[in-house]
Amino acid sequence: MTYKRVSGDALEYEVFARKTRLEPLHQVGSVVAPDDDLAMAYARATYDEERWCEMAIVRKEHVIELWQPGEA
Amino acid sequence: MSFSDLVLSIADNKQMLGLRYAEWATRAPSLEADIAAAAMGLDDLGHSRVLYGCLEPLGSDPRGRDRESDPASLRALPYFDQPWTEWAQFVAANAILDTAFTAMIEACVGGSVDVLQQRLRKMLMEERYHFLHGRSWLKSGIDTGPRDEAWREAIEWFGPPDGETAAFHRDGRLSMGPAELLARIEERLGVRAPSVSVEWKAWDPIRRRGRAGAIDETTFAMLRGLEEKRFAQSSAAAKEA
Repeated sequence: MTYKRVSGDALEYEVFARKTRLEPLHQVGSVVAPDDDLAMAYARATYDEERWCEMAIVRKEHVIELWQPGEA
Repeated sequence: MSFSDLVLSIADNKQMLGLRYAEWATRAPSLEADIAAAAMGLDDLGHSRVLYGCLEPLGSDPRGRDRESDPASLRALPYFDQPWTEWAQFVAANAILDTAFTAMIEACVGGSVDVLQQRLRKMLMEERYHFLHGRSWLKSGIDTGPRDEAWREAIEWFGPPDGETAAFHRDGRLSMGPAELLARIEERLGVRAPSVSVEWKAWDPIRRRGRAGAIDETTFAMLRGLEEKRFAQSSAAAKEA
């Protein structure tokens, strides 16, 4: 059996985290995965080197852009 | 078989699982999967250290001197005897065997032994991400050979229905026995295990496996630090030259 580099349909996820309750979540990176479960596992494995008190992922396609660079 | 023997079996299997995971840190199908393999390997090696540290508080450490010379003295499953050559082997171990070890740790945390209740709880949080990784890849489909072998070895590792694991469940040291442990991993993975016929008379209750064998020589030498010494000698000779 052969495997594609990313199994299934690859989705992009943005990864957000914060170290303390006082600071807001900020983007720390992104991962590519075929589903939410694998994206959670990848985000935790990739960005767990710091002691985050919270981490969350969002599908990039679910982000609603108001404008892009150069459009404002 | 004592309760310490069971804990040592969990530790040895987690150590070998961690090492085999780490071997795939540059061979997985995606960069993210590479990183996950490395991270899960580190997790499981760390878990094995915690488990080894529980042996003394449990009152007896079953590790003998033969662990320095005999690879068959290690209590890992046949699945870990040789490095994996296929990604499907990684996925089956990740989804089925890692989940089986986690179920046993859950049974320890839910049981009556204080030191295990206290020290093993954090592992369950880390294992959540191993489970998500394994289940997702398992759903994507793998060859049946590694999958069925992983199920067989998980069932063998839980032990016979009337064996010591069942006795530990009855006396409260484990919150689950073999039947409950199997049901637990079936429920978590959302699939039924294939029908497996185990010849329990040929089963080794200490190593918790149904057939003889041992880990490969290179891995055994690495565990004892011999590989490190070999490279240390060559670098010292290079400096003299």
